[in-house]
Amino acid sequence: MNHIPMRMHAPAIRPQKMTRRALAKQQTREKVLQSARDLFIERGYEGATIRDIARAAGMSTGAVFASFTDKNELFDAILNDDFAGLVEPMQDAVVGATTSREALVGMFGAAYRAHAHQLPLIQAALAASWTRTPEAERLRREAMRPIRSLVQEVLERGVERGELTQKFDLRVVADMLWDLYLAGYRPAAFEGLSVENQTDKLAERIDVIMSAIKA
Amino acid sequence: MAGVRETQKLETRRKVLEAARDLFNEIGYEETTIRAVAERAGVSVGSVFTTFASKADVLSQVMDDRVDALHSELERVARHMRGSTVDRLSSLFAIHYDFECRRVRLFLAHIAASFSPSLDASTIPYGRNIRFKDMIIDMLRDGQAKGEVRDDADLALILDTLMGAYAWNYRLAASQGADNLIMTEIMERQIRLIFAGLQPR
Repeated sequence: MNHIPMRMHAPAIRPQKMTRRALAKQQTREKVLQSARDLFIERGYEGATIRDIARAAGMSTGAVFASFTDKNELFDAILNDDFAGLVEPMQDAVVGATTSREALVGMFGAAYRAHAHQLPLIQAALAASWTRTPEAERLRREAMRPIRSLVQEVLERGVERGELTQKFDLRVVADMLWDLYLAGYRPAAFEGLSVENQTDKLAERIDVIMSAIKA
Repeated sequence: MAGVRETQKLETRRKVLEAARDLFNEIGYEETTIRAVAERAGVSVGSVFTTFASKADVLSQVMDDRVDALHSELERVARHMRGSTVDRLSSLFAIHYDFECRRVRLFLAHIAASFSPSLDASTIPYGRNIRFKDMIIDMLRDGQAKGEVRDDADLALILDTLMGAYAWNYRLAASQGADNLIMTEIMERQIRLIFAGLQPR
């Protein structure tokens, strides 16, 4: 029996010292992000205007534009923050798992749970993801890297533990799992699937992959 | 017999779809307005909206008509395809990647629109094409008959997993400008992987 723990280590994030001006700027940015998030969830991407967002944040549209060049950039910043916020709950799910399957279902389930209250936001993000600019694409990929590498690490650990076969390119497997996870947002958004059903459905698809890659 | 009104409606529909298809091809989906479509079709903006709910609705019909022709042809020739189930499935997906990549921006707009929160009842979003799915299920059943796929495999689930992989591979086209050959190669690896778990025990 193997005893290699599933635990992964996240790189430590070192808080930076800030000048008062930088701090004020960051506070404005965060206020805008929070108001924008609420409005996007409530009205969708098209329905929320910069004017509404500024009003909700208690500032001028000019102040909003000082932090973000346009609505698109604001929207992307919210989503990139979101993905950064997913790392911890997903890691926690992996830590408690005893098998690769459990780790994968657990981590993606944790992501679904974290997003359950803001499906309209995710839906708009998925729609936009097919027609992004190269720069927006680069930032998104950067934001998702920690979670995507978490998937890869779970698989590598599974191979180390002798649970998964070495026969397949783990990057291909990780990409497939990632896509299945993203595809799982569609039924949740359209058919009103609960987080539990959404996770169960993904687990079935993960099992299709697992039966291929188990040692 | 269809009444005069019904005939007129069908005629408007045909004209609008033709004009929209041409405009989407020429200047792109985002840049095409309903007004421009109406103008090219020689109908009023109002009559476009009595036939279609939205621009996304028009796009979905254009895309569905487009792929319909391919499917009619494929349904005829699929039974002549030789090789293992993996090979035949790979060919089927390769043909689709080839077909959709001829108008890849339009196809990506079609996928993007399928995530729109305001889909109309008449819109056929990407991913609901029954004929494509039926062809895949037929190949999987055939694979079972030939002993290449486990008897107790959940074919609906396999179909879903294959379709998921097929569709999301288009992200490579969206994000990295990948062409049909790159996507076909990745799809084939994915099919092989899925099939490794389907072999009879």
